[in-house]
Amino acid sequence: MVTVRLFGMTKMLAGNQGTLSLALHDGKRVKDLVAMIEAAYPKIGELLQKKKVLVSVNQDIAHEDLEVKAGDEIALLPPFAGGSR
Amino acid sequence: MSLEQVTKADQPVTDDEAMLVRVQREDFSIDEELRRVRRRSKRIGGIAMFLGTARDRSKGKDVDSITFEHYEGMAQKKLREIRERALKDFDVIEMLVLHRYGEIDIGENIVLIIAGAEHRAEAFRACKWAIDELKQITPIWKLEHTPEGEVWVEEHP
Repeated sequence: MVTVRLFGMTKMLAGNQGTLSLALHDGKRVKDLVAMIEAAYPKIGELLQKKKVLVSVNQDIAHEDLEVKAGDEIALLPPFAGGSR
Repeated sequence: MSLEQVTKADQPVTDDEAMLVRVQREDFSIDEELRRVRRRSKRIGGIAMFLGTARDRSKGKDVDSITFEHYEGMAQKKLREIRERALKDFDVIEMLVLHRYGEIDIGENIVLIIAGAEHRAEAFRACKWAIDELKQITPIWKLEHTPEGEVWVEEHP
């Protein structure tokens, strides 16, 4: 089981949940995680496919082939908009 | 901030250093932050500052207030990286990077960058680089409250 933290519009698209709990087994990769999210939340899946939403693992942007391990800190990051003009 | 706080490299940082990179809910005093940078070195001869404030218009629409959400931990890590890279890649002596989160009223402070160098040119250059980089790599999101509803801002200018 892995926990995925949600922020900004991804949180909204998941019905205002702050986290998702997914039954991801050992040896699975970021792309498998993306496929699971896509199945459950097609709108978030679309943004992941377009790379508008990125996956971070342990606070770094992750490649789709990165292996996800139990206890990893995973998050979905919508486009950043910090600061001001 | 405590003395036990550690950076990515597990090097202890002093209280003063920890105060140079912050994500906080409260407003900040520009004078106080300027003093914090100035007292780091007597060699500073030029200081450039960027202050971002909350606008009441966005893409032609009225904005009543803004809420900033951040990824606790990663946001601080990215801001520390910006300061460290600025100190390494530019001829600056000190840099402060500060961002607020939570609900911010129109006209209030959002983000502050202060770059202190021997001379103005490097201070300006580092300051501009830091705010541009902040927008690219820092996990902070902006929710605009408008008369028509709430909008998560997707693109930074």
